[in-house]
Amino acid sequence: MNQPSAPIAVDALQPWPDTVQWRPVSRKLITVEVIGIAVWQAVLVIGLGVGWLVGRQWGWLAGIAGVLVLGVWRATVAVRAVRAWGYAERDNDLMVRHGLLIRRLSIVPYARMQYVDVTAGPIERAFGLATVQLHTAAAASDARVPGLPPEEAARLRDRLTALGEDRAEGL
Amino acid sequence: MTATGPEEPAGRQRLHPLSPLLHGAKSLFVIVAALSWQTLSRLGPAHFAIVVAVVAVGALIFSAIGWWNTGYQVVARELRISDGLLWRRNRAIPLDRLQSVEVRRPLLAQLTGLAELRLEVVGGNKAEAPLAYLTVREAATLRERLLSLSGRTPPSAAVGAADPAAGAPTSASLFAVRNRDLLISQLLTPQAFFLPVGVAWVITQFVMEGSWTFVGIASTVTAMAGVLLQPIRRVLRDWNFRLARDPGGRLLLRYGLTETRNQVVPLHRVQAVRITWPFLWRLGHWVYLQLDVAGYGAPEHGNDTGSDRLLPVGDQHAARFLIGTVLPGVDLLTLATSPPPVRARWLHPFGLRFMGVGVHPDVLVTRHGRVSREMTLVPYARLQSVRVVQGPVQRMFGLATVYADAAGGRSGLARDRDLAEAWALADELARRARQARRSAPVSPAFPVSPPTPLVPPATPSVPPAPQVTPATPPVPSAPPRPVDDAFRQPPSRA
Repeated sequence: MNQPSAPIAVDALQPWPDTVQWRPVSRKLITVEVIGIAVWQAVLVIGLGVGWLVGRQWGWLAGIAGVLVLGVWRATVAVRAVRAWGYAERDNDLMVRHGLLIRRLSIVPYARMQYVDVTAGPIERAFGLATVQLHTAAAASDARVPGLPPEEAARLRDRLTALGEDRAEGL
Repeated sequence: MTATGPEEPAGRQRLHPLSPLLHGAKSLFVIVAALSWQTLSRLGPAHFAIVVAVVAVGALIFSAIGWWNTGYQVVARELRISDGLLWRRNRAIPLDRLQSVEVRRPLLAQLTGLAELRLEVVGGNKAEAPLAYLTVREAATLRERLLSLSGRTPPSAAVGAADPAAGAPTSASLFAVRNRDLLISQLLTPQAFFLPVGVAWVITQFVMEGSWTFVGIASTVTAMAGVLLQPIRRVLRDWNFRLARDPGGRLLLRYGLTETRNQVVPLHRVQAVRITWPFLWRLGHWVYLQLDVAGYGAPEHGNDTGSDRLLPVGDQHAARFLIGTVLPGVDLLTLATSPPPVRARWLHPFGLRFMGVGVHPDVLVTRHGRVSREMTLVPYARLQSVRVVQGPVQRMFGLATVYADAAGGRSGLARDRDLAEAWALADELARRARQARRSAPVSPAFPVSPPTPLVPPATPSVPPAPQVTPATPPVPSAPPRPVDDAFRQPPSRA
């Protein structure tokens, strides 16, 4: 009764490298993430800059420098995080992996799917990206795939919905 | 399974006319508590009474209007509830999503012969649409009707077996908790131990201060009551705990002293079972069982209002019996687990011995906790998703944690497994979740005769096989341990 699973590779981001075809998310997501970070940085820097203009103290400039360094660091992390994000459609379940510091892999059987969300924020839309999220009855389930081109998102959504209806077992 | 029940939907129905009075009384209580002792001392008793009376009349009128606008109706396989005063709300609750139904009777409702009907529906964090209040007879009839409409159980059997007038369907009694055990077990909680300390502290405070005002004492007592009277609340809540099973295979629970609760849980709606061995309860070899139904939401710590008890207190024989009932084919005594690899001791210097995971034919077993031991059983058929999470420290040691998410608030949690083992476990769980569903898609209970188990996990003496085939699920890094020390004794009374 056992399907022998593939030889096990001991790498947090590469389980079952032979049997599972991981698909990356779009690299444009990096730009989206960086813009998002940059906007927050800009808001913080402007706030601190106003403080400096009013107060003329060195603390404000140090704060700006700190914010900028933090922004650069977050941007590099974002680049790597986007590269780490991947998903795979297997015959019976969807697998999603993400995270660098804390690495996560979710396996969600299609049959347990309750509904699928497709969302796209304003920056995502500008770059032609969308996020597909799969919801199950368990709140802890965490199967979110960001940075998909619209046609891929639509394809994934339709496939998930079709498979879910096919095997709907609910709870 | 259309809704051609014995009685056709008789249009929109109202709640019982006494409901606004009961709601008003409830809100009056809240208001008095909110006004607090401070106001009483400032206004004096006469003015205070006037304020309370005005507020009470207001609350009564408000609830009466609310009652007028509230109605419910069973249409096809939906329960429609409309309510709201300013914001009208119409809810249609699909009954095929109904998880469990509870009839609650708070003290006032008991005095007036009324009851509150609460439905647990998937996706709701709290009980969806409590219908408060109906007469006991109405509540029982409606409950049977809803359950039969919701069910995979044939409606004729469920309705025919039920006797709506009795309040509880005819059923075979399974188990009753002795009130003496309940009392003793609640005395063996930390709160009960701290109660004398708290009282002594308050008394010394007053003696030192020398201010014996009524307000001061009352406020302190009110403040302390919230925390320290939890054992008493639990005793009142779980008094006369009775478990039964009706012919349709559903679990009936009834308990409570001041507020009686009468709960019906179809067995196929049970998402997980948790067994807890509180530290002090080991004196009596007692355990505590909770069951999870989708819709209960995540259990909040210290929240006692939920209705997730399967057994408030009982010895291992009772626990074993109940688990065998709720999850057919599962024997508590055979649920061995294997601990994480030894190198995980750097993360868990004390509790490592008591952590573990076991892959059994029907359920995933995970356990943890040094002082208060916990064990979670998640049937594969109820697994919603599997996750593998690895934090930075775990990466240093090559460990990972596997989560088996169920639709209730609790998930199976295999902490700090070897990474390769974690992958294998996740793969195995996903596969078994699929198979469990395929083998029993419609039957209300889980398959009693399990499929051929992979490795007999229940033989503690078997050393780890030197040649483990790649197909074997999580490689036990040590011989599996029996469930708990308490279970090591020969089952004399079982």
